[in-house]
Amino acid sequence: MGDCGFTITNHEVQHHIAAAAQHILMALKACRNLTDDNRKVLSDLNSYLPNEMILGESGGGMLMDMEEQIRHSEGIIMRWESHEGMIWDSGLAQASEYLNSVREIQKIVVAIGGLPVPSGGKPRELCLRAHCILQIAMSKLEEELIHILIQHKQCYEPEYMSFRSCVEDVVYDESFVSAEDEAMESVSRGDNSGSSSEQCLVDLVRPEVISAIKSIADVMSASKHDKEFCRAFVGARKDALDEYLVILGMEQLTFEDAMKMDWKALSCEIKKWVWALRIIIRVYLRSEKWLCNQILGELGPVSLSCTFIEIAGAAMLLFLNFGEAVAMGPRQPERLFRVLDMYEVLADLLFDIDTLFIEDAGSFIRTEFHELLARLGNYVKGAFSEFRNCIASDQPRKAFSSGVHPFTNYAMNYIKTFTAYRETLDLLLRNPEEDGMDPSPETEKGAEDSSYSSCPLARHARLLASILEANLENRSKLLKDESLQHIFLMNNIHYMVKKIKDSDLRQYFGDEWIRKQIGTFQHHATDYIRATWSSALSLLNDSRRLDLNPFNRSTPRDKCKNFVAAFEEVYKSQTGCLVPDPELREDLQISTSQKVIQAYRSFLGKNSAQIGDKYIKYNADDMEKLVLDFFSGSSRSLRSSRRR
Amino acid sequence: MPATEYQGSFLGRISIRRNQVVSMDGNHEQELEDLEIFQKNISDRFSDLLSDDSSSSSSSSEPFLSIAWVRKLLDVYLCCEAEFKAVLIMGRDPSLISKPPLDRVLPELLDRSVKALDICNAVMHGVDSVRQCQKLAEIAVAALEQRPLGEGQARRAKKALAGLMTALGIDDKDSGSHKSTERAWSFGRRGGCGGGSAAKDRGLGQFRAPSWGVPKNWSAAKQIQSMSSNLVAPRGADSTGLAMPVYIMSIVTVFVMWALMAAIPCQERSGLASHFQVPRQLGWAQAMMSLHEKIGEEWKKKEKKGSGSFVGLLEEMQRMEKVGHSLMDFADGFQYPGEAERLEEAAAQAAELAETCRRMEEGLVPLQQQIREVFHRIVRSRTEVLDVLDQAGKPSAPSV
Repeated sequence: MGDCGFTITNHEVQHHIAAAAQHILMALKACRNLTDDNRKVLSDLNSYLPNEMILGESGGGMLMDMEEQIRHSEGIIMRWESHEGMIWDSGLAQASEYLNSVREIQKIVVAIGGLPVPSGGKPRELCLRAHCILQIAMSKLEEELIHILIQHKQCYEPEYMSFRSCVEDVVYDESFVSAEDEAMESVSRGDNSGSSSEQCLVDLVRPEVISAIKSIADVMSASKHDKEFCRAFVGARKDALDEYLVILGMEQLTFEDAMKMDWKALSCEIKKWVWALRIIIRVYLRSEKWLCNQILGELGPVSLSCTFIEIAGAAMLLFLNFGEAVAMGPRQPERLFRVLDMYEVLADLLFDIDTLFIEDAGSFIRTEFHELLARLGNYVKGAFSEFRNCIASDQPRKAFSSGVHPFTNYAMNYIKTFTAYRETLDLLLRNPEEDGMDPSPETEKGAEDSSYSSCPLARHARLLASILEANLENRSKLLKDESLQHIFLMNNIHYMVKKIKDSDLRQYFGDEWIRKQIGTFQHHATDYIRATWSSALSLLNDSRRLDLNPFNRSTPRDKCKNFVAAFEEVYKSQTGCLVPDPELREDLQISTSQKVIQAYRSFLGKNSAQIGDKYIKYNADDMEKLVLDFFSGSSRSLRSSRRR
Repeated sequence: MPATEYQGSFLGRISIRRNQVVSMDGNHEQELEDLEIFQKNISDRFSDLLSDDSSSSSSSSEPFLSIAWVRKLLDVYLCCEAEFKAVLIMGRDPSLISKPPLDRVLPELLDRSVKALDICNAVMHGVDSVRQCQKLAEIAVAALEQRPLGEGQARRAKKALAGLMTALGIDDKDSGSHKSTERAWSFGRRGGCGGGSAAKDRGLGQFRAPSWGVPKNWSAAKQIQSMSSNLVAPRGADSTGLAMPVYIMSIVTVFVMWALMAAIPCQERSGLASHFQVPRQLGWAQAMMSLHEKIGEEWKKKEKKGSGSFVGLLEEMQRMEKVGHSLMDFADGFQYPGEAERLEEAAAQAAELAETCRRMEEGLVPLQQQIREVFHRIVRSRTEVLDVLDQAGKPSAPSV
């Protein structure tokens, strides 16, 4: 092939003109808004042209012309069959030459098809030959299409693309054994903040090749090769999406894998899911649909949506399946917030998903996502009540006396994290029969009744706090020492109140609740002092009136001695107590001074002469200083070190 | 899609009666009767699937292993599953469920159900690859329907058919190559059409990106093996208790999953036929056993012939393969104008291929939806059983 060198004779020129004129006429006739005059001129012309173009078996005129055209186009098309390179890579001139050749052949095929000639003979031969060349060209164009789609695909790289660094992240540990304040702060919701940039459309294929792809689409569909075009297009775009998912770090997990995965790894997968789903839906698939629209828009909505769903379907199933796997996992409190992240991102994206898959063919995907959202919601509710059960039923294994119990810490941090998910939790916890929650009367009358304190989350939060308090009461009973019990409750309730007061939780609990709880721990403070000091203080009492037995009467010196001994005993135990909060510690020290040192001071004031200075081991000021050692958490002894 | 013909009366009857029965003896009698009904229904349903075939070879609307037949199989599964739950859970005291042997067999059942989910997922993607075949076949049909048929269209048909053969796992050139199955999963590969230049091989052959179905090392055969490995029929007193329906349902599940994987393209299925046996000598399992034998025979036949690299027993795929092969030969040697006889034959085959495509067009989407329905049903049932176990006060539900 490839006899490109052909000469154009006068005769051929004539026929070229005639052919061109006929094309023009056909085009004009197709035009609807023609005046009658115009029409007449056209039909006159028409009557002239056929005479010129009537063709015989002799092969003259137009057939010769067509054959020449076929040969010419064939030359161009076949040249690329033996050529190593790709057409569009070789430049636009080459590409348009190729496309024009294909179009010429297509025209000839149409023209021959419309000729009133008997079947067989030269026209048929030409037609078959044209079809053959056309077929070769179609195959070539398909390859070119795929090549262009692969060569010129672009990845969307969000600024926060380096998500994979999270894999090394320390995943917070909510297990209350090691819960520290800081640990829980990091539970703050996964980065759900949608920046405006993620709303944008991006070019998934370099914009400069769009017109090339479109012209291939046009030419292929003109030869009824749209099936081939779509197949190639879908295949290439689907692969691009698959690759992109790999770039995003998505992993193909089986359900078995996901169920067996330890929580730390799963939590990381969840974060990835939340992050990737947003990018895929908001940016990638929106852009993909836009690309499909640009290229296939003219093929009609049905093939457009089918194509898009074929590209996106498998990826959507990947996200759906992971969601399902999480939703069917064990409902553990520690999973609550990560699943809430999933719920929130999905709720947020649902509208976009509905828009992306608005067509009938996508209804399956839409429904699946809606159902997944419902299941994640159920999971959240389940994990929430699991948390409640955990607070209610957690049984202490051993007595705990010092400071704030890690369990309180854990539970309060957990409750505090709810505020970050307020709207979602309000929505999900709304259903009262779900938890058998009866709106407590205190809520009804709620004085400050802001929208916060009456919302479902607030009701649940208060309920959780009271369950926690009850749990703490139970825990305190493990302590044999009554004063330790009070210290324990005081510390923990104070911690709860402080946590609530200093955070957004304040709005949920309301000032009245806070006041009440302050009263509670103050009550424990009073009880604590009574329980700790009553026996020591009774030693200072003027017992003469009470105790008539002269043998029981002790002298002031004895009393002082006994009291000091008792004080030293209490000193040893109370320095061992821990009150971590400095304010609370100070308050307790002041109350202790007021109650105890005051009594001692007045006792000494009345009796110092009788006792004698050298028998007074500590004066009141000494003792007041010693009280400042209390509640530090490390037990000290006065007997060995402070002897006079 | 009314996939499930619920036997409402059956479910209702069980729950109502169970609530009425109080005494232990009565309860047990009731249990036996429920179990009997359950077994009988299973037997009937599977016999139904069996008779569909014997009644006809091709005239039936649901030929053996056709898409329609597989859909019916899934219907049967959904029905059995619903009845199973009725027998196991409805109106039952949760504490019964936490006692031996149920405390052992139920977690095993749940474990199996998670494995079944992975199979559903693999099969979902398998249907996608069937659809790829459909697309290629449609192109071939479009080309072969052209009149007059020229060499150009023959070339087009040949290209599509070569792609189809590859997608079906039949590679003329390097048959027996273990790569061919893998290739069938990717986008399909350009067959040897036209002058093969280097540029062409770069073309379609490049679609090799991972397919998001199942992980690369996942094996359908191993999955079935692990699902059935711990399946032991309850003995002695257990054989009349609740362990029996659990066992029966497990067999039904494994069988249905096995049949799905035999019919629909799935990753790594070598030796699938021998990995699972339906128990013999059990009345309710007779029909299932016959089905198992029939499918197993088909499988072995194909495995022997295709050295393990074929795609599936789905009737439509088989037909596509057969007709495709023949049309491929036709297109390959076609020279205009062609022999009239040969043309006629090819036209008839193209019509058959078109008919197969039509069935796929009609059936594949609903089939996929139904597989997903089965998937969701399994998820839901798993949750329900876990809830009951939870109520029964079992401290820790199995994590799997």
